[in-house]
Amino acid sequence: MMQPASMYAWSNRWFRWSVSGLLVFLVVTLLVGFVWLPSVQGDFTAKGIWDGICRAAGAPREWRSPTSSSGAAERTTSVVLTPTMARSGSADATGRGGTLAIQQCSMCHGAQGMSESGAPNLAGQYPEVVAKQLHDYKRGDRSSAIMQALAQKLSDRDILDIASYYDSLPRPKAARMPAEGRGAPALVRSGDPLRNIVPCAACHGASEHKLGAPWLDGMPKGYLIGELRDFASGARRNDSFGQMRNMVRTLTAQELDSVAEFYARREPDDGKR
Amino acid sequence: MFLARRLVLAHFWVAFVAFTAAIVLGEWQMFVRSPLSAWVGDAEHYYRSVTGHGTVMGYVFPTLVAMGFGYAITELALKQPLIGLRWAWAGFWLAIVGTVMAATPIALGRASVLYTFYPPMIGSPFYYLGIVLVVVGSWIWVALMIVNLRAWKRTNAGKPVPLAMFGNVAGAYLWAWTSVGAAVEILFLILPVALGFKDTIDAGLARVFFSWTLHAIVYFWLMPSYIAFYTIVPRAIGGRLYSDTMGRVAFVLFLVFSMPIGIHHLFADPQLGAGFKFVHAVFTAMVSVPTFLTVFTIVASVEIAARLRGGRGMFGWVKALPWSNPMMLAVTFSFIMLGFGGAGGLINMSFQLNETVHNTQWVTGHFHLIFAGAIVIMYFMIAYDLWPQLTGCRPLSPALVRAQLWLWFLGMMIMTLPWHWVGLLGMPRRMAYFDLSNPAMAGQGWTLVAGTVGGLMLVVSALLFILILARARASDAKASPFSFSTAVHMPATTPVALNGFGLWVAMMIALTVVNYGFPIAQLASLKDTSVPAIFVGGQ
Repeated sequence: MMQPASMYAWSNRWFRWSVSGLLVFLVVTLLVGFVWLPSVQGDFTAKGIWDGICRAAGAPREWRSPTSSSGAAERTTSVVLTPTMARSGSADATGRGGTLAIQQCSMCHGAQGMSESGAPNLAGQYPEVVAKQLHDYKRGDRSSAIMQALAQKLSDRDILDIASYYDSLPRPKAARMPAEGRGAPALVRSGDPLRNIVPCAACHGASEHKLGAPWLDGMPKGYLIGELRDFASGARRNDSFGQMRNMVRTLTAQELDSVAEFYARREPDDGKR
Repeated sequence: MFLARRLVLAHFWVAFVAFTAAIVLGEWQMFVRSPLSAWVGDAEHYYRSVTGHGTVMGYVFPTLVAMGFGYAITELALKQPLIGLRWAWAGFWLAIVGTVMAATPIALGRASVLYTFYPPMIGSPFYYLGIVLVVVGSWIWVALMIVNLRAWKRTNAGKPVPLAMFGNVAGAYLWAWTSVGAAVEILFLILPVALGFKDTIDAGLARVFFSWTLHAIVYFWLMPSYIAFYTIVPRAIGGRLYSDTMGRVAFVLFLVFSMPIGIHHLFADPQLGAGFKFVHAVFTAMVSVPTFLTVFTIVASVEIAARLRGGRGMFGWVKALPWSNPMMLAVTFSFIMLGFGGAGGLINMSFQLNETVHNTQWVTGHFHLIFAGAIVIMYFMIAYDLWPQLTGCRPLSPALVRAQLWLWFLGMMIMTLPWHWVGLLGMPRRMAYFDLSNPAMAGQGWTLVAGTVGGLMLVVSALLFILILARARASDAKASPFSFSTAVHMPATTPVALNGFGLWVAMMIALTVVNYGFPIAQLASLKDTSVPAIFVGGQ
């Protein structure tokens, strides 16, 4: 038998058959995947065969049909959280923020960021959390008669400075309602997988802290319950991607209460980031 | 005629010790999720363990086995000293440093992102750099395999390349090209974020790059086992290889078809078009061809052994097989697991059927059965078979080896078959916790118990494996020279296409361009597709 001299010659039958075989196989597969299969799907071929091919390639010529618009009802937050927002501000920013906060915030949130009036505690709160909420109030994505009015007047820099100030305050060691040594509720530790509820601790500390999630330990219980109810009912909708609304929608009243109770009694951990 | 002995031994020992540590982590994961134990209470510990288990089993263990076996093949099959011994040691140390560098942040909880990375989760940069070092170490191996084959060809012009070396270099080319995907993902997408230069990442594009690596890496893991099927099994059981050519065809088919198929891991990903998903599904079906060829050829080779031993009849020859020979047992177990696992794999790759099992425990069962079952059991045999050459010991105790193989096979079946079943019921994978107090789940608890029991058998088997290897002592008796299988018709000449790789490597690259080029270009050109990174481990 004659041995072909070169691998890449048409006279080499291995080359001839494998290359032509592979080509035919590839072309047939492409035709089936991009022409034939889309042709039996109405939405793929509604605008002609070329449009069908583009869609099968993952590149539709238009991404959204003009009828589906994002109306006011879908309005949620417009803040995009990035890790840079979690960095502590400069001493200047903190000082400036302190001046603003004493004038405008301390009435409710306390001189040291610990509220005596049922408003959330802000001492030691993550800066991206405070900044996001203020932006949301300012743009009307989170509603509160007082906070919306106050936030209106804040510039972007004011917001960063205030966030930096609260970030700089120490979290108090002792909570006003000491924990009774009870373990965390199952919802906090392990969530409820069958209801698609992840553990609270996966974002709000203990297991892991996620960007944009506030620390909750020692927060007023009434505040926590109120916000959880608002998330559940959809009255509050400034959570990115509906994270909180999806978590609490299926919780029962007792579960809401036990989770809020747990966090209200929990001592803030001193291990700040 | 075996100068790289220490080099091969070093690779094997590190691989096997890492493997044993990782298998203990795996068993702990099975145990803490099962009803036998109260839950750990912190999901992060679970994912930390999964990351360690996956990183060692996916990157460190098989890579070191393939490298060590490759160096051994180079000397034993080509019968020439390994060229570039110092480079080989450099590659080994790179892999060691990389392993330690990756393992440390995992242990500290700074990289619990699982071995498949899953952007936008971002862990410590040392984790990714460690993996890059392991891969760079293996690229040295790739280069050495190619250089050694070239040198041999120069002095043996026109002679057929020994089949073991042919498969070995096919594996090297495959790994060189398939590792590019994850390397691009790490270097250009993940590391800039992990190092703090950016805080958003294009997760969809990153997943496509990872899929480039993710499926063909499995065939890189599998190559040593297939080389053992063709070039060790027939000799070890006293038979002949049915066809040398079939082995070559299988190896080049793996080269061509294992690359352009990774998108079958992304059937549920919205950023990719259905057309490409279909094309990748079809090409995935094609990789079953070299496996079918291999199963046919090896069964035929085994039949030859049986008939040489006096076996008769249509099926009567099965009784004449050397069943007390550990290699016979191992290849049988391997094929049974390959059969179940392969059938499951055909279901996974089917665009429609995948919907049912996507991201369920079925998939976990599938890849454990194929990789940890069918492939790793042959890694054991490679080590047992080479050990007398490497250490100068007497042949290892067949009774202990058989016990080890039985434990591995039964443990793997007991662990993975219930996983398949419960996956069909919808149990998701990558879960740290199952709420078995819920009536809807309570009936599924037994599968987790079975997994724990099977896993325990695997741990015992792994420890027995280490014990057998460690107890082997050098003896005065000189080890008989190593030989690979003889084919029924040893090739005097081989078609030039089956004696080199140029054509097949060209096809592999061309198909990659066709099947990946457009999705990658299109995703890379889309604006505003990056999402904020999620840093794990409180960074």
